[in-house]
Amino acid sequence: MRMADILSRVYVAALFVFVFLPILTSVVFSFNSDRFPTVPLGHFTTHWYETAFSRPEVWLAFKNSLIVAFCAASLSTMLGFVTAYTDFRYGFRFKTAYLALALLPPTIPLVIMGLAMLAWLGRLGLSGTLIGIIIAHTVMGAPFAMAICRMRLQQMDPALEAAAWNLGASPWRTMASVVIPFSTPALISAFCLTAAVSFDEFIVAWFVSGLNKTVPVMILEILQGNVDPQINAIGTVVFLTSITLVILAQLLILRRSAT
Amino acid sequence: MTIEDTLVTFEGVHKRYDDFVAVKALDLEIKRGEFVAIMGPSGCGKTTTLRMLAGLETPSGGKITIGGKCMNDVPAHERDTPLVWQSLALFPFLNVIENVEFGLKMRGVPDFERQPRALIWLERLGLKGFEKRRIDQLSGGQRQRVALARSLVTEPEMLLLDEPLSALDAHLVIRMQGVLTKLQKELGITFVYVTHSQSEAFAMADRVVIMGQGEISQIGAPRDIFRAPKNRFVAEFVGRNNIFAGMGQSGGDIVVAADRISVSREATEGASVQAAFLSEEFVGTAIICYFEGPDGEDLKALVTEEELEALSPEPGEQFWLSWAPEAVHELEGA
Repeated sequence: MRMADILSRVYVAALFVFVFLPILTSVVFSFNSDRFPTVPLGHFTTHWYETAFSRPEVWLAFKNSLIVAFCAASLSTMLGFVTAYTDFRYGFRFKTAYLALALLPPTIPLVIMGLAMLAWLGRLGLSGTLIGIIIAHTVMGAPFAMAICRMRLQQMDPALEAAAWNLGASPWRTMASVVIPFSTPALISAFCLTAAVSFDEFIVAWFVSGLNKTVPVMILEILQGNVDPQINAIGTVVFLTSITLVILAQLLILRRSAT
Repeated sequence: MTIEDTLVTFEGVHKRYDDFVAVKALDLEIKRGEFVAIMGPSGCGKTTTLRMLAGLETPSGGKITIGGKCMNDVPAHERDTPLVWQSLALFPFLNVIENVEFGLKMRGVPDFERQPRALIWLERLGLKGFEKRRIDQLSGGQRQRVALARSLVTEPEMLLLDEPLSALDAHLVIRMQGVLTKLQKELGITFVYVTHSQSEAFAMADRVVIMGQGEISQIGAPRDIFRAPKNRFVAEFVGRNNIFAGMGQSGGDIVVAADRISVSREATEGASVQAAFLSEEFVGTAIICYFEGPDGEDLKALVTEEELEALSPEPGEQFWLSWAPEAVHELEGA
């Protein structure tokens, strides 16, 4: 028992090392003065950050990514919440099919999704626009948002809504003053998570972005040119942004299951 | 009963779900200021009846009136029929006073007026100083009182209660029963109280409605129902009754209350049966002795501690259970 305990601890530690070591390496080399990622390391420098963020196209890519992430996360969260509420509140004949469809997007291979989006958005005249990327990322994020909102709504006493009607709140008023306040932690959490999904997403964005590049698309284009430690610097910023969003989302999920 | 005295009427109300009839042809009148308990086993339609009164279910047929006005098509949020829920259904994201103010807020009572009115009710229910507490920081009894305050703050003519005490510890149930009866008398409003518990219904209600399988089996004062159950279902549900099949003058079933049975080792004159002793149970000052009758029926007799000692029964021993003719109540039907 004691041995098994130690082994499982070692296993968890090894797992974390395995997952985070590549990222950590990238962070370390982003502060290394040598041009190529080799050991022994050179001296500490913030040079790569300075050069990377002096390039206007980097700023533009970040701006694009932030706009896309914000819009896609807002839309995903709204859609996800509405879908989850429909599931919570109503029973109807093809509910299983409805849920399966709503949860389908993450199971589609990203290349296929990218191609399909390109073809479809092209017809609408939206390929190569930020709106196109926002639509694509909304489709990808909504199922996650729905899953999070569903978990929260399952914790809600079904009598809570009826209690609000009983106290004189119309169904719409009940939505605004009971269901949404109850779901707020899930809504924020879903927003953070879908923003992180969008901010990181490369394949579909690569298909539909055209000239309006997001950060991951820009990173690939720089990489295709040459090996440049600026990538490590940009990568570190992207990683920190995403991990912050994910941790925020997790904290909200944990806190709400405590109450 | 005059028209003005009647607050609620059910006229031939029934409620059907797809393949199941929850309530069939219910006729009931509830007076102003009355404490009515609707009692029955689970699935008897008592909660559906209450929910129809609150507008949370629409009757499939029949007519419900409140204060003379037909309520069938009035949605829940336009009625003044606050309900105390079995789960309490307090809003977990609001604190105590915000919960209590909720109904006032939804009715458009201005901010400055809401708080004092909520405070009056919190104080009245002994929750002064708890205004800013979160719901999960309260005990079961305190939550119960918040739920009451939340329902009463709009000063309704009628309060609906759906098994509100079922989640409480036994000693708290007795205390809350006291709180509820006192409140009802002081406010003079109608309480409609749904429960499966005989002791709660009989302890508090002026009138008890016994329901079984979607129908009213009997309506009456607790004492009448206890002493004169109308049929076998009521007699069995009320408990502490002995039912003897086919012993009535016209061959019907008769009921003798457990406290009117005397137990002896020798055969006695008059009506009696021989039964085997099973076990005993202390209920406060008296003891219930359980017997098995000649046809396997469950029989019970209420005895004092001295009587039990004198008898000192052993399980399986035969005794004679007898009763006076005036203790007999004949049941209707089979």
